[in-house]
Amino acid sequence: MVTGTFEVVTRPVSRTVPAVRLSGWHRLRRGIVPYAYLAPAVALLVVWTYQPLAQTAYLSFHSWNLVPTSPMAAVGTANYERLLTTGELGEAVWHTVEVIAGMLPFTVAIPVVVALLVRRIRGRAQAVYRALVFAPMLVAPVAGAAVWQWLLDPSAGAVNRVLGTDLNWLNTTSTAQLSLIVITGWHVVGFAVLVVWAGMTGINPDYGDAARVDGATPGQVTRWVTLPLLSPTLAFLGLMTVLLSAQWTFPLIDTLTQGGPVGATTNVYYLLWELGFRSHDAGLAAAAGVLFFVGFIVVAALLTRLADRLTHHDD
Amino acid sequence: MTTDTRLRRITGHVVLTVLSIACAFPIYWLYATSLRAPGDVHSLTILPWPLSTANYAAAFANNDVARMLANTAIVALLSAAGQLLVGLLAAYAFAAWTFPLRRTLYLMFVGTWLVPFQATMLPNYVLLARLGLLETLAGVIIPNLCSALGVLLLREHLAGFPKELLDAARMDGRSSWNILWTVVVPVIRPALAALGILLVITAWNEYFWPAMVLQRGNAVVQLGLRSFMGTEGNDWGPLMATAGLACLPVFVLYLVLQRHIVQAFVRSGLK
Repeated sequence: MVTGTFEVVTRPVSRTVPAVRLSGWHRLRRGIVPYAYLAPAVALLVVWTYQPLAQTAYLSFHSWNLVPTSPMAAVGTANYERLLTTGELGEAVWHTVEVIAGMLPFTVAIPVVVALLVRRIRGRAQAVYRALVFAPMLVAPVAGAAVWQWLLDPSAGAVNRVLGTDLNWLNTTSTAQLSLIVITGWHVVGFAVLVVWAGMTGINPDYGDAARVDGATPGQVTRWVTLPLLSPTLAFLGLMTVLLSAQWTFPLIDTLTQGGPVGATTNVYYLLWELGFRSHDAGLAAAAGVLFFVGFIVVAALLTRLADRLTHHDD
Repeated sequence: MTTDTRLRRITGHVVLTVLSIACAFPIYWLYATSLRAPGDVHSLTILPWPLSTANYAAAFANNDVARMLANTAIVALLSAAGQLLVGLLAAYAFAAWTFPLRRTLYLMFVGTWLVPFQATMLPNYVLLARLGLLETLAGVIIPNLCSALGVLLLREHLAGFPKELLDAARMDGRSSWNILWTVVVPVIRPALAALGILLVITAWNEYFWPAMVLQRGNAVVQLGLRSFMGTEGNDWGPLMATAGLACLPVFVLYLVLQRHIVQAFVRSGLK
């Protein structure tokens, strides 16, 4: 059967010959069916993701204050120049890198060490540990922020009273960023542990056994068998950390530090939010949005490349 | 050999106990503080005693907590239901037919991972304003009705669906709509349920989009909690009670469906 030509056909699609010859009208109707099922989802994507993305690109070359009645003025690349010459962007990027680097121990290092140490725990005990470790992932970000604000409160908080310190963790430049990293790490570490744990369970034990028969020590089995076979999982967690860390910290920044003190916790997304909704500088915010989008793609592509080259597949 | 194995098992238990305490303690402290009598809120004793519901009473008195919780439930349930339906239809199209542009359309869904929410934020805000959806719950729900994650996970599930079943049903001359609801849905009901829970929890905890649509309003519990968190001089007892209430529905779900929820999250991550 030849599919209907009502849509742009990129390449002929071969199909098995149907038992019954269909009339043209029937063929057309049958051809439309899958598109009809896809229509709601695709329409939503176009309206709320792709068309706005194009508009952001358009806005980035204009000056506008978000007020519908005020005119938009074309300004060429002025927004980009402004963005790249003021120090704000560089600082926000640096803070984002700090957060990503700070998150990697929670999303990769701790999970791997824990998963390696607990391989022998099974059954009921395992179920209880899993339930407890995973729980923070389900805590709403703002509720998490609230309880940590309480724990870290300078005078009455449990942390200072137990440590005997009087640090204002969230309002001191040197500790604010660290606090946000620990809170975000607390949210996701259990999830990452379970992902690595699942990845490790999926490894065929025959490989390790074969290595042991050949006289490999447990350490060697870990280094040369388990970790390489785990590398796709680790690559996934690494990619997730790089792409999502700044997203995860956003609710915490918005509720706990508002980007401060003196901009110490302003990452790229919070900067964008501030430009758009505080300064009402739509053009500048759009230019930042475009730069982050492009940066995102470049980083994601590089990481996928790197992951492909480094990971070993079990085949 | 046996002592070695036992040592390793003990190490494992120690490591997991430490990690479990580190993960669970803040949650415990949240509820412990919320249940202390108003005079004991600053107490550091591990067990809150005597127990008191005064903080919850204060939370309900100060805030429109009940309305916020109801609104959040509406948003979470409607979003998840809509996302399931839209996702099911799209995944069905990908699984049951081969058609021109199939790959391109599929990539449109995968591609959403690369578009950070913040890159489309301003035009979306303007569009919401133009449609009169700002400061409304509809504005929180409608734009999120297509969950790319939902489409991708369901498609993966349907890819393993026995083609013979579909073909046999087609031979019977049944419509594709009929086949979807009488053949496909009954088989993938567990997957739909797991995804549904994941989507409800995600929508319940969502922060960024409601914060944009509702701005400084506090119609949903996440935002109400934020406006309750004053920068100075927090009233910790009622605040912890409100935060506890904001997490409670999800934790109740978790108590009942623990294994399924963990699996749904881990699998969505392992994709």
